[in-house]
Amino acid sequence: MSTTALPVARGRDGGLPVHVSVHKSGGRDLWSAPLDEAPSDPVAATWDALQEVLDPEIPISLPELGLIYGVGVDRGTVTVRLTFTATACPCMEFIKEDITDRLESEHWIREVELVEVWDPPWTSDRITPEGRAKLRELGVSA
Amino acid sequence: MSRFTDEELKQKVQEGYMVESLEDMTEGYRKALRVQLTVQADTELMSAPSYWMAARHAPSTNTQVSAHAIIQDELAHANIAYRLLEDIGESKEQLVYGRQPHEFKHPYGFDQPLDNWAELVVANGFFDRAGITLLSDVYQNTSYAPLKRALVKIDMEETFHLRHGEVWMRRLAKAGGEARELLQKAVDWMFPMTIEWFGLPDDLKRHSGQLDYRLKGLTNDQLRQVWMASTVPLCEELGLHAPAHWDADKEEYVLEYPFPCQYDAVEKHWAFDEGEISWDAVFERWKGRGPMNEIYVEHVQRSRGDVAKWLDGKAA
Repeated sequence: MSTTALPVARGRDGGLPVHVSVHKSGGRDLWSAPLDEAPSDPVAATWDALQEVLDPEIPISLPELGLIYGVGVDRGTVTVRLTFTATACPCMEFIKEDITDRLESEHWIREVELVEVWDPPWTSDRITPEGRAKLRELGVSA
Repeated sequence: MSRFTDEELKQKVQEGYMVESLEDMTEGYRKALRVQLTVQADTELMSAPSYWMAARHAPSTNTQVSAHAIIQDELAHANIAYRLLEDIGESKEQLVYGRQPHEFKHPYGFDQPLDNWAELVVANGFFDRAGITLLSDVYQNTSYAPLKRALVKIDMEETFHLRHGEVWMRRLAKAGGEARELLQKAVDWMFPMTIEWFGLPDDLKRHSGQLDYRLKGLTNDQLRQVWMASTVPLCEELGLHAPAHWDADKEEYVLEYPFPCQYDAVEKHWAFDEGEISWDAVFERWKGRGPMNEIYVEHVQRSRGDVAKWLDGKAA
């Protein structure tokens, strides 16, 4: 009997395939450690951090999905302007929680402000080429 | 008529051959696949009325949306599985609308009422986790290519259900008081319910052909271990008691109660103190179905008759 073993998670999600565990955590399992020092380009550093946060339904990042409209940094306060794929998006709370947790893990960030933007509305045109490539790999059409 | 004999096909799929269509299948393969897909489709379908009735306990509109998104996913997953059954010669119409409640093949767990929000989120945390455990194994190992392709989307969505369950279990555990008590009560009946869901232990397992045809990779006992490996630590982290623990000598999770044992569906109580029962007694209980079986099936089937008659111009 030959079975293919995909890599399985260790620890709390023991036994579940790694892709399930990583996705379920919003990407947490793969989040980088916080920076040792304040970054010279805090806006770019914020985008880098957001790049590690996954959408709860499809495992691609929030910037790749086109949900992040803008990032502003004023000393220790980071403002993220974001939208959702629908006003009745079932994942809004999870997405906000993941962004806040990822950004607040950085020592140089004191406060995270999330501003919901509905105009212009999200359309699938906002998915980046990288996001599209990943979706194709996952077998999802966009 | 298949282009292969049964022995040839078994040999080929073990070597990695992927079956694409009926022409590749022997009757044995088709039957084994039909059983597997029927259980999968019925399970997804019956989770919908079960979750739907419980979703009315949602504490906010946002939460309602999340709960209903999960129900929508489950119906779509059922639809996919019935569609795959049509490809191998079954009728979706007959399967969904032409069967009696006791003829559906979903597990006994989805014949039970979910009476409050805690039970719904533990269903997401436990039952959907069982679903993802079983379906991930099918995804990794199945020799049926159309099913493997379909499972990509299904597994991603089930991951969201699982997260919904975990996040809410964490919130209720943290809230303490009545919320935590209801959560523990839900765990008390739903943990053994899910353990039983994985079926006969390997040493009693009748030969089903699912492993020979490579329709799955892991045995019932292995799947039960995978489920416990992520469920038991979750319960421990939340300070909830689950009747199982890691046994370092045996290097596996062990149950702390007689398995299998009898269940009182009205009281939602497992009779641990009455000791182990036979699997025949379990099958007898499953065959009798649970208290919500007819209600859930009626819920799925009821609108069909009237509306179909209207559309056919046959309304009274």
